[in-house]
Amino acid sequence: MTHLVQVVILGLLLGGVYALMASGLTLMFGVMRIVNLAHGVFIIAACYVAFYLFQGPGWDPFVSLLVTVPLFFLIGIVVYAALFPRIEGSPRFTEMTVLLTFAIALIAEGALAYFFTGTFRTTDPPYKTDAILIGDFFIPTAQFYAAITSIVLLLGLWAFLYFTRTGYAVRATMQNRTAAQIVGVNVRRVSTIAFGIGMALAGASGSLISFLFPFFPARHWQWIAILLALIVLGGLGSLKGAVVGALVLAVLAGIVSDQLGPTWSPMTFFGALFLILLIRPQGLFGHQARVG
Amino acid sequence: MTQVEEREATEPADAPRAKETSSGRSRRVVVAALTLLLLLLPLARPWIGQPFNYVMQMGIVVLMWIAMSSSWNLIGGFTGYISLGHNVFYGIGGYASGLMLVYLGWSPFLTAPLSGLIAVAFGFLVGLITLRTRGPSFIISTLALLLMTGLIFDNWDLVGGSNGLSLPLPPFPVETVKIPFYYAMLVIAMGSVYLGYRVAHSKFGLALRAIAQDETKAEVAGIDTRRMKIAAFSLSAFFVGAAGAIWGYSLSYLRPTVFFIIGIAAQMVLMVIIGGRGTVAGPAVGAILLVALNEISVSQFGSSELNIVITGLILLVVLLFFPLGVVGTLRERGHLPAFLDWD
Amino acid sequence: MSLLELHDVTSGYGYGPDILNGVTLTVETGRSYCIIGPNGAGKSTLLKTVAGLLRPRQGQILFDGSAIGGTRPDLVLATGVCYVPQDRSLFPEMSVKENLVMGAFLERDKAVIAERMDRVFQMFPVLQNRLHQRAGTMSGGEQQMLALGRALMVEPRLLMIDEPSLGLAPQVADQIFEIIGSLADLDITLLLVEQNVLSGLACTDWAFLLDLGELRIEAPSDQILDDPRIRELYLGRQKETSRPSAPDGEGET
Repeated sequence: MTHLVQVVILGLLLGGVYALMASGLTLMFGVMRIVNLAHGVFIIAACYVAFYLFQGPGWDPFVSLLVTVPLFFLIGIVVYAALFPRIEGSPRFTEMTVLLTFAIALIAEGALAYFFTGTFRTTDPPYKTDAILIGDFFIPTAQFYAAITSIVLLLGLWAFLYFTRTGYAVRATMQNRTAAQIVGVNVRRVSTIAFGIGMALAGASGSLISFLFPFFPARHWQWIAILLALIVLGGLGSLKGAVVGALVLAVLAGIVSDQLGPTWSPMTFFGALFLILLIRPQGLFGHQARVG
Repeated sequence: MTQVEEREATEPADAPRAKETSSGRSRRVVVAALTLLLLLLPLARPWIGQPFNYVMQMGIVVLMWIAMSSSWNLIGGFTGYISLGHNVFYGIGGYASGLMLVYLGWSPFLTAPLSGLIAVAFGFLVGLITLRTRGPSFIISTLALLLMTGLIFDNWDLVGGSNGLSLPLPPFPVETVKIPFYYAMLVIAMGSVYLGYRVAHSKFGLALRAIAQDETKAEVAGIDTRRMKIAAFSLSAFFVGAAGAIWGYSLSYLRPTVFFIIGIAAQMVLMVIIGGRGTVAGPAVGAILLVALNEISVSQFGSSELNIVITGLILLVVLLFFPLGVVGTLRERGHLPAFLDWD
Repeated sequence: MSLLELHDVTSGYGYGPDILNGVTLTVETGRSYCIIGPNGAGKSTLLKTVAGLLRPRQGQILFDGSAIGGTRPDLVLATGVCYVPQDRSLFPEMSVKENLVMGAFLERDKAVIAERMDRVFQMFPVLQNRLHQRAGTMSGGEQQMLALGRALMVEPRLLMIDEPSLGLAPQVADQIFEIIGSLADLDITLLLVEQNVLSGLACTDWAFLLDLGELRIEAPSDQILDDPRIRELYLGRQKETSRPSAPDGEGET
């Protein structure tokens, strides 16, 4: 029993980071109907930023957030403005976004592999192997900090969405794009900002992932597959679904990993995806109409 | 006046088109000549000399990709459902025939159709689940399927896990060992192009195109869209599985990384988009162009990283500037040669 | 004085055919208009094109003398043109209050917003009682009232309403028409598209008859109601359309 609680604790800590990654992805789908296959590769790119800031100037990965968050926000704005307005009004917009971001993912993956090689990397902050002991349970320090940071960033996202004028515009656009337009929301501007925010979250996740999981360029496919499975489970475009899905699946993946070995933990996500498609294709918090 | 509108006006597409009989005849002549040339190519061995095996190998590769892209086109082109994990069928075909060879001693040349059918059965089961929904969930499920299958094969002892599975060498002399593989791939490639042609000119193909255009309207029009989608998805697995069987045997060594890497799916997608989605000849054109390009880029840059970058860049440029692909763009401009106009 | 002028406007969806075929018409300030015509006549397309949701392929749209054709919807709204689509386009996950606040999205002064909201509550007391209910859970009639209320939060000069009675029970629809008829007292120029022609004409001063994307007849509403030829040609299916119409929202263009 103690052991199971320990596994659940570890799962929840990681779940926070998964939630951070998935919320950016589901935000992009919710606001713009973009399925961003390049989300994973940008997370890995941010890992490299954190890695070299750690190797070079010796910045702690948490300090590297000061770089990754604004940097990837800007990259997001540029990528959005350069590509997506061109395909606006395309009759099969979402499908086009899948193909376009697939292309971006390949380009970025190849470039990362070319410059940084395919070697496994990881940042090694001093607290990486530390743990906090609470009674019988141990909480790895690095995971704990990462989870706290994720929660803070997610709360920030929530506050932005519910308490700022632009946040209202983002939510309005998610719920009904036409309605947002007719009440005076500049949806192009809102979409650009939302894409930038999604990418900023990817950047932040990269800083955190850099010391939690070893990374190399081609690793992003596994991440994106896991994250996409997760947001389908939660309901495409549902932030609540992404967060709940991330926590539940991370815990399940922890249990699977504990019972069958870490190799099989990604199977949890894929298995859950097929299960949800079988019993509730619109996802836990999704609306049938939205997926159409 | 675009061809597309004209075609819509004369649907069903196999309605006789009087003014095209002359181009139809020239098309038939070109195709017959091309087929004959491909059939006779191995007989030219004495004249080709030393590079014969290279020529055969290139033939095998091109034909394999034609089979793969033409098959992908059934679901990704006609039906408009993008599959990013179609090489799962490739791997399943490869391993199915490989296992039958290792454990039963049956030659993959004989079991390739059976492996194709196994891939179809697998596609059907997967399709039952993933094609319940429309839109992006399907695409996501194909990506998950690919990673999931790769993971299973990596850790499955029966198939040798990530170390792979050695196959007995084919019982042919070294100088002519490529020839049977060449003919097998030729049959598979021609079969898949012919399948694409038949589908394009059938009521089934019409239903698939209707789904691609507007699934809700297709449903309202009385099309059982789910059945059609599942049929297209499983059908598109057949020749991919068979190609995997032959390809795996030609390597005489099966490893998950040969089959279950996303790069292969990327090539399939790219070939069809370059050639022209939803056209009959487009996937073959795309396959030829891309194999040639890969050959050049590997010899020029030598690194697979840059090859990935180039693949991505081409995909990006084609999507943004020539979304109709070679065949589609040429047709729109009225420059499509008759022997490529199969739609 | 003319408020809105369309000159030879042609418009349609995506790469599809022209739905609106060179329409020229003038909307006078302070009047209320009903656009009638058979399905596919281009009534909704006209409203969407004026609202900036569709870009005119040809022709000019002038609002208060300045060209608005092809302008972004939020900029069109800022000039005082407000559009209520036939699906009502509410924010289903937001409360009644949030929907109303979103209606005044372009207004940043909180006091002004509160003042406008009070006025909306006077017209629609129901909304005040449902302040925190999610819009998606309300009945059709209440949703239509919220859509109208949200439009009034803009304080529009021109209000365009598309099929307000769609899917509503007859007595609820009558209630909506009564409210629409009273909008004239608020100095709002009204452009109404309505399948339920009798009710639509009854609550407006003037009518445009569209058919196949072209303007056929322009006349005072009561005159149209009395014209036996028009009644026969275009209002003949009145009995059919007065029942809750089929929800062919997308099909109606």
